[in-house]
This record gives sequence, C-alpha cells and structure tokens, in this order.
Amino acid sequence: MADFEERRGLLGDENECPAAGGQGAGGASRPMAAICDPSHLLHRVVVLVFMCFLGFGSYFCYDNPAALQTQVIQDLNLNTASFMQLYAWYSWPNVVLCFLGGFLIDRVFGIRLGTIIFSLFVCIGQVIFAAGAWSNHFWLMEVGRFVFGIGGESLAVAQNTYAVNWFKGKELNLVFGLQLSMARLGSTVNMNIMGWVYSKVAVAVGSPGYTTLGISLMIAAGTCVFSLLCALVLAFLDKRAERILHKEQGKTGEVIKLTDVKDFSLALWLIFIICVFYYVAIFPFIGQGQVFFIEKFNFSPAQARAVNSIVYIISAPASPILGFIVDKTGRNVGWVFAAVIATLGAHMMLAFTFWNPWIAMSLLGVSYSLLACALWPMVAFVVPEHQLGTAYGFMQSIQNLGLAVIAIIVGVIVDVRGYLVLEVFFCACICIALMAVVGLYFVDYLKGGGLNQSAAARAKLQKETSTNAETKMQPSMVAHGEHARLAPMSAFGLRNRYLSRLGAQLPDHCSTHLSSLAHRSVLK
Amino acid sequence: MAAAMTADSGRVWGILLLFVCSSSQSLFNGGDSYKRELTVKLYPNTSSPSPGGELLHVRAVGGNDTLHFLFCSQGAPTLLVVHTNSPSSIVEVNWPQFVARNTSGSLRVEPQSSILYSTAVVFSRLLEYDDENNTAEGTSNFFPPYELQDFSWSPMNLSKPTAVICGSAPHSSNGSLCFQLTVLGSEGRPELWPRLLHSPNSSQVEVWLDGLLPRSNTSRFVLELQAVGGAFPLSKVDVRQFIDDEYTPSIFKVSQWVSSANNGSDILGFVQWKPVAYRRPRPALEDATPCRHSEPQPQTANKTTDSSALIKAFYSDPRAVGMNVSFGIAGEPFYNSTMFLSWTMLVGVGSPPVDSFSPLVIGIMAAGLGIPFVLLLVGGVCVFIMKRRDTSDAAYQPIN
Repeated sequence: MADFEERRGLLGDENECPAAGGQGAGGASRPMAAICDPSHLLHRVVVLVFMCFLGFGSYFCYDNPAALQTQVIQDLNLNTASFMQLYAWYSWPNVVLCFLGGFLIDRVFGIRLGTIIFSLFVCIGQVIFAAGAWSNHFWLMEVGRFVFGIGGESLAVAQNTYAVNWFKGKELNLVFGLQLSMARLGSTVNMNIMGWVYSKVAVAVGSPGYTTLGISLMIAAGTCVFSLLCALVLAFLDKRAERILHKEQGKTGEVIKLTDVKDFSLALWLIFIICVFYYVAIFPFIGQGQVFFIEKFNFSPAQARAVNSIVYIISAPASPILGFIVDKTGRNVGWVFAAVIATLGAHMMLAFTFWNPWIAMSLLGVSYSLLACALWPMVAFVVPEHQLGTAYGFMQSIQNLGLAVIAIIVGVIVDVRGYLVLEVFFCACICIALMAVVGLYFVDYLKGGGLNQSAAARAKLQKETSTNAETKMQPSMVAHGEHARLAPMSAFGLRNRYLSRLGAQLPDHCSTHLSSLAHRSVLK
Repeated sequence: MAAAMTADSGRVWGILLLFVCSSSQSLFNGGDSYKRELTVKLYPNTSSPSPGGELLHVRAVGGNDTLHFLFCSQGAPTLLVVHTNSPSSIVEVNWPQFVARNTSGSLRVEPQSSILYSTAVVFSRLLEYDDENNTAEGTSNFFPPYELQDFSWSPMNLSKPTAVICGSAPHSSNGSLCFQLTVLGSEGRPELWPRLLHSPNSSQVEVWLDGLLPRSNTSRFVLELQAVGGAFPLSKVDVRQFIDDEYTPSIFKVSQWVSSANNGSDILGFVQWKPVAYRRPRPALEDATPCRHSEPQPQTANKTTDSSALIKAFYSDPRAVGMNVSFGIAGEPFYNSTMFLSWTMLVGVGSPPVDSFSPLVIGIMAAGLGIPFVLLLVGGVCVFIMKRRDTSDAAYQPIN
C-alpha cells in the first residue's frame, strides 16, 4: 500500500478554540469532563486511538495472500501468476480512485460518511474474498480484492483528513507517524499470525483445504469489522465535536485538475519514475516472498513469513527517525540515491548469494523507509502549492498502475524462469530508478540545486518566501493558476532587479528572490 | 565472521567472473564445442525381439577416446558406461552366453587394456510405503517391494537420440514404469524440466511412473539404485548449492554421487541430479515435488549380479553401493493426486557438468549496472564542462 505523509501547512490556526467548551450561541454551559471535551487533549487522544485503528483492518487484510501464499496456492490449485492477480486486482481501482478520493470526501460524501462508506467497502471486499475461498471460486476472490481495493486507498486519504482536522502544528508529525506505525503493525501482525490461525482452523475442520482457507480469511475480516466500528465511533465523535465547537467538517483541501499534468517539470517526471520503479521492486517481492525464502534458503514457513515481515517491522520505528534525520539534514536527492543503492544491494544479495536473508531484508526495510521519507516531500519542492493535489494523486495513480502490471509479470516470471530471473528483473527495475535518480540530480543541479539543498539553506529560503507564499495558499489560486505565473514584471520589480545586480542594498521585503522562489518550477 | 563474509563475497565475485569469462569464451568459440560421433547398435539384431530383454549399445567416439553406453533390460534395467582411451575400441557380445547369465565375460570391451574407467547403475527395486501421517519419513509401513528384475519389459523404442523401455509389474496390467536413455554426445540441454546440462561425457536417464495403481491413498514411492564398479564405485553424495535456478525454477541444489580414487580430488564417474521430481508429464512449477536421497551403503554384490544380466556379463568381481531416492516430503500431495511421477539423472565419467548463467541474465545485469554508471560519468563530465564554460565567458563581472 502506498504511504505518504502530507506536509502541507494547515489552513490557519484560527480554528483553535479556547478550552472549556460550551462557547457560542445556544450551547449549554455546564462544564464537561476532560475526556468528553472535544478540545481537550485527553479527548483528542481517545480520538487518536480510534483514528489509528481505523486503518488497521485494511493493512492487516491487504497482505493476507502473502501470509498464506503456500496455502492459497495449494488449496486452490493456482500457479504464481494467478496468485499475483490477487494483488493486481487491488491496485486496478486505485489507478482512478487516487484522483477521486479527495473529491469524494470533500464534495460528495463528507469526511464522516465517506470514511464509513470506505470502511464498508473494505469490510465487504474482505468478506467476498473469504467467501470466494470458502466456495472454491477464484473469480469471486478476485472480485473481493477489487472491492477491497476500492475502499483501501481512499480510507487512507480519509484517515489523513481526520488527522489534519483534529491535530495541528507539531502534533501532526507525531500523529502521522503513529498512523504509519499502526499501519505497519497491522501488516506485521498479519504476516506472523495468519499461518498460526490457518493451522488451528485446519485442526478444527479436520484437514487443510479451501474451506479452511475461507474460514481463516473470515476471521481476518473480523479486523475489518473492528475498523468499521472505529469509523462509526469516529463519525459520532466528529459530529459531536462539530456541534460543540462549531467548526466545519474537515476537508482534504485537495484540488485535482488533470490539465495541470502538462505543466509538470522534468524533475517531477523523474520523481514519478523513481517512485514507480522503486515500489514495484518492494511490494510484489514481499507479496510472493514466502515461497522464495522456503525454496532458496530452506526456511520453514513460519521463518519465511517472519523474514518477509521484517521490512514492515523495521519501517515502523525507522520511518519517524529517518524522517527526522532527513528533515534536519535536507539533501533529499542524496538520501534517495543512498536508499536506491541500498535496495539494489539488498536485491543483489538475495539474487547472487546464499547469505542469511535477514541481512538483506533488514537493509531493504531501512532503505524503504528512507526513500519514503526523502522522496515524497520532494514533490512539494518542485510543484506549486495549488498543483500539489494533482501531483500526489497522479503519483499514486501511476504507482498503483505499475504495481498492478508488475504483479502479474512477477507471477509469470516465477512460473516460467524461476527466482534468479525474478531477482534480476527487480534489480533491473531498481537500476531504472537509479538512472532516474542520477538524471534527477543533474537536472536539479543545472536548475540551481533546489532539491538537494541542505536543510539550513532551505530553511533560510523558506523564511524569505514564507510571507509571500502564504498569501498564495488559498484555493482561489486555482482560478488564475495558468495566468499567475505569466504576469509581467512591474516597474518596481524591474527596478529592484537592476538595482540588485549593481549591488545596491535592497530593503528585505523587496527581494526579487521572493516571487521567483514561489514559482520555482516555472522560472528556471 | 568478517573473514567468512569476505571469503564468501570473494567466492561470489570469482564465480561471477568465471561465468562471464566462460560464457564469453563459448560465444567466441562458436561451434567449436566438443562433439562425439554416435553409433547405435541393438542386440539381438534379429527382427523378432528376444523375450528376455534387449541390449542397447551406443558408441560415442571422441578425438582420442571412446565412451560405450550399454543399456540393458534383461533383468533389472542397467546402464553401464565404459571409458576407453582408444578411438577404435569395440564391444563384443556373446549373445547366448549373455542371455544364459551363467558366466562373466560374455560382454567384453576390446582392447581390455584401454579401459580407463567403468561404472554401472542398476535400478533394482521400487518401494512403496503408506504415509498415513503425512510425515514422509519412509521408515515404516512398507508394502511388498516391486522387484524390477521381475517386470516384463517392452521392446526398446529408439528415436534418436533417445531410447525408451516400459515395463509393467508382474501381476498387474495397468500402469507402467518407463526408462528413457538420452545420449547427446555434446553439450546441450533438453527442453523439458529439469533441463540438466549435458556434457559430451554424460548420458541422461529419466525414470517415470505412469498410472501404476498405488496400494493406498496415502502412498509414496522410493526408488532403489545400485552403483556398481570394479575398483572405485560411486561412494558419496555431494549436495551443492547453486544460485541459478533458471533452468529448473525454484531448485537451488544439485546432488552428485561421485567416485574418486582413494579420496583424491579427481572425480572418475558421477551420477548427477536435481532433488526434484515432477508430477505431470509436461510440468508447471506447482507440479514439482522435492525428493531426498539416503546415504550410500556398500552392499554385497551377489544379489546385484544375479538380478542384472549386464553386470554378470561384464564384471567379474564387482563392488556395489546402494542408495534410495524417496519422492515427496511432508505436506506434499501424494502419488494418487496425479498418478504420475518422473525423475531425471545424469550418468557419466569425468567431472560432472557445472551450470552457468544464461546470456539473458548476464546481459540484464551488465546493462542495469553499467548504464547508471555511464550516466553518472557522462553527466559529471558535462557538468564540469559547462561549469568551465560558464566561468570562462561570464558576461557580467561582479563590481565589488
């Protein structure tokens, strides 16, 4: 599942209400217990708990096929290509839905109803998936994964929107980190538990088979029901807070305009290429990794599942730490380069040696977290604020397209040519990402090195542009998006530019750097 | 630990370099690979097949040596490989004596002094056991074994470069056990899995069970082999790990039953196989089932000599070593899921062939690692040149 952390600034801190609610017209002014008070920290911690568990079910069930790979293949008589279809069908609806998620939440359903609907899709999808296994109909399982996919990614958008709505400022980093950790926890628990669940059900039913598989998957659907309950509780609490605090329903604030795609710079396209070719070497690999570790390294199924889950286990604590480091040091392109090289090393280790795969998989986990922390923020550096929604949506859309297509290819390669050719294929994908990183470095260098600046230099620039940039954050910017950057320079601006080349001192607020940096992606 | 790691990585780089060199060498040599001339003779050479079984002789003549492959279905199926250092050595068979199985010496390789090494593999028994608990231990619940010397074998079906015999069990009519001998006489790889790499000094024997009725719903099979030799029979099994599973997907091991002179390092003869058996004639990846071997044990040669006409005819004082190959492990489907089981092995003299990477893999890795490196280099040079150009003709000089 794709993960990204929204780093956009929040729209104003004016929504902050004073403590001790009950303010405003018509509200009964009896004092509430701290835990019932929507603006008090304790209540928000309770809401945070529900928010984190909202995504638990979908991340738990996403990797169910990987955790039960040998059982799925044996009980339903599949080959690897058909097995990987289960992952492809998850990704297909998200090629389109990445663009629609924000729109659906903002304009059609609202955050509360939208979250409940997406949770319902997740739940129903997993139940259909389990029913397909129970009745030994593979096509029904594919339908189930498709429905599950419709809900899964959009639920992540909804979760992020809730977070942005309830938490502001520095708390938001912590909340995003916690949500990501819960997601990774869900994946890890799935990998390590489902095999045990299956064996227990097999003992109860009498023998392994598709019935046992169906029952195990139904048990997994229980976590989706739990997430649905969290969605309902969150909707209730959010509505209550809206009533008490008189604030609006949260919005994603995303605006998607597909025509913006033609304005994307070369640097952004290179970032897209890195994103697609990197993630297709991670998720499809984990999806069918269990059999690989059993066959090549003679692991037992339980060991193979454990080593498969190490990527997620490491990413849970590593993401906040590495995010902190990347934020502090800057030089994003350098970190991306390091992450890609490390992943290439890990895949080559798995391909060409028999070294303990724990080493390679741990390296994979660290580099995967590093790349996520360094790559996604770069989009915000090369895209103007009003196109950020489109850029992120497009990035996720092609990422899902890549995952869907490559998942099928992976299955075919394993069936026909074996695991060495598969690992070489993954190395080739990483090498393409590496070429894109090298290209990105040079493209960025020739444009002044904005992406690879150290954090100190970037902070200095941010301060200089912050006054100017904030006024341009309103959504009304969309209306004159195409024209704003073509506005002719005023006489004042021309004079300042001339004066600055003479070395004359300008007042701080008249620096010509301000307007150019606000539209970095266009002027150079 | 660090030393072991560097030794390992050194070995890996050494292997990679070796494969690059060997594949480029074969590319340059082109069609210069070693090829033997094959001639085939079938005994008895009468139109009506002998009821007892036949003897197939394939003579593979090289530059200065000859390999004789003798495959016989009289009694237990036997493959005998004789390596002589003369390109004109021949095999003489006294057929009546051979069929009578009374004396040794009815099959001779002339001249006797040119024999460098000989090894034989006898397929003696097919065992079946009931694996009720699905543990595939293979130590108990054995049904009465099938003695392959009691099977009735069909006439040899020759189609270059293979020969097939099929036999059915004494008291049952359906189901058969077949053996297929393939002698390529040069390097090559068959089309069907496990696609073992042949060398000019090797031959391939494929064994398959087709439709034989199992005696329980949870039975698994074990094949008993005996290696017979004069001075140095095959004694120990090496299992090697190998990173390339292109030709046999998901199998990363190779097993070799080798004989070496007085525990020296030169390998005189070998039986090589990949520890996999297939449950369908044209298998897909999910039809693969692992197989295991037991430790080779020396045996009394009398039983072997009595069961196989070829051993009796050629060897006067043989030594025999026996080994079992069991098909299937715990959790795998049983034989009755597809009623088919096939296993392939190579028998030959000299060193066993070593697999190498295909050009596809090498090409992709070279391109994948090379292109970013070249890009970095070219980009760095371009940036350097542009920087030089910029500083040399900057239009505006700073005033202060």
